[in-house]
Amino acid sequence: MKVIIDWDFCQGHANCTGDAPEVFRIDAEGKLEVLMEEPPEELRPKLELAVRYCPTGAIRVEG
Amino acid sequence: MQVQVSQPSPDRAPYAPPARTPSHRLPPAVSGAVPIVGHAVEFIRDCLGLLWRAYQEQGEVAKLRVFNKDIVLMTGPRAAEAMFRAQDEVLSPNEAYKMMVPVFGKDVVYDAAPERMGEQLGMLRPALQDKRMRTYGEIVADETRRMVQGWGERGEFDLVQFCAQLTNFTSTRCLIGREFREQMSGEFAQVYYDLERGITPAGYIHPHIPLPSTIRRDRARVRLVQMIGSIVDQRRKSGAEGEDFLQTLMDAAYNDGSKLSDHEITGMLLAAMFAGHHTSSVTVAWTLLELLQAPDYLDRLLAQLAEVYKPGDDVTFQSLRQITLTENAVKEALRLRPPLYILLRAALQDFEYGGFFFEKGTWLATSPWVSHRLPGEFREPLRYDPDRFAAGREEDKKQFAFISFGAGRHKCMGNAFATLQVKTILAILLRGFRFELLHDPVIAESGLVMGPRKPFRVRYQRLRPNGAF
Repeated sequence: MKVIIDWDFCQGHANCTGDAPEVFRIDAEGKLEVLMEEPPEELRPKLELAVRYCPTGAIRVEG
Repeated sequence: MQVQVSQPSPDRAPYAPPARTPSHRLPPAVSGAVPIVGHAVEFIRDCLGLLWRAYQEQGEVAKLRVFNKDIVLMTGPRAAEAMFRAQDEVLSPNEAYKMMVPVFGKDVVYDAAPERMGEQLGMLRPALQDKRMRTYGEIVADETRRMVQGWGERGEFDLVQFCAQLTNFTSTRCLIGREFREQMSGEFAQVYYDLERGITPAGYIHPHIPLPSTIRRDRARVRLVQMIGSIVDQRRKSGAEGEDFLQTLMDAAYNDGSKLSDHEITGMLLAAMFAGHHTSSVTVAWTLLELLQAPDYLDRLLAQLAEVYKPGDDVTFQSLRQITLTENAVKEALRLRPPLYILLRAALQDFEYGGFFFEKGTWLATSPWVSHRLPGEFREPLRYDPDRFAAGREEDKKQFAFISFGAGRHKCMGNAFATLQVKTILAILLRGFRFELLHDPVIAESGLVMGPRKPFRVRYQRLRPNGAF
């Protein structure tokens, strides 16, 4: 499973950091950081929430 | 704080404007343009009708003329993607939304350079981020209950007016703060109303046309700076600090260390209010109107609400995610009745798309209203059918097809807030009351927002006493 960010879209709302804190973090400058590009399978439900509720539709999961 | 909104990614190559070649086509013109004014009369009187006719006549790319301005309507996901992915220095929202400058103020948001605008929007962001977002459900629920606590067993009300008042309270309290909400006098409502009425499609042509509405708008802006300025003064003098958005703006600084002036603070508060108030208000009204005409779906939705909420339960961030049928009902209202029916960009450089050549100076437009009515993108597009977003169909999955909030780096920042707010209001109202339409809705394009025409009478019957919903 791979996490893909459309950087044209991300506005730094940080909703994903609430849904999947293992995978996403907002750095000191307000910019999104992806902590794991290929997260383990057990994080899938959390990632699906992050994808569904990202306000700008910037997150995709492949595989 | 670094803001990504309007900054190109580091590896992006500088824009190379296309050279015009003989194989390029120019956007085809829509019929009915008259000398000098072009389509201006139709644009102001019946914008939705004109946009739909433009698409029917010319398809994906269709050129309108409003006075001396060419506006090319781009329809469908591919054309919308080309528009939304372009950089600000190529297709500029700022240039196209100059009409908002008399309201937000000089050097604020659309009148600021893209980087400055990015910094200003970045100051709004903390109010819309995850942590604060998780607290808004309760606040919106509280305001909704306050609105209906005086209602009797049965009665009638004007839905349009009701939604406008309620969202005025919720958006001021969530975005600006409790203190401001409690101080919201009748005067504020009037001043805000005058500002809102001062924005009309005529503003696309020139924001300062001396109409009675624009004169009232400019007077209202001056008064509002005084009103907000006096709250700022009081706080500065008393040393009291609020934990609200106003405080965030009072404390905020640009990257160069300079602070915001009262003029800028007022402008930013207005930007947040304008983006979130009328649009959310009509979405509540449309969703309820559509649901009342889809009784089978409404029954299922009510059953889900009853499952998730026991009498007296409060709405929470988590429970709001469980009421998926309400969520899809809101989304479908946004599809069929997008509050903003036209989104604009101004080409600051030559641009090409699909073999068409757009000369610098042209405006590009996309209409959620038209794009959401394409049968190729949405099954039976004219039907209110919230199940189209449910698992298995997911007609919103295709990127750039559903564009009620726009898309790309300028996609509405308040989109998650708006959805949360409308869901909360509906969850409270529908648990407390049964509603009945008294007539059919008529569309009113008031200013830039499309809503049901006022007054819209609705009958209510109380299902539960106060405190039990």
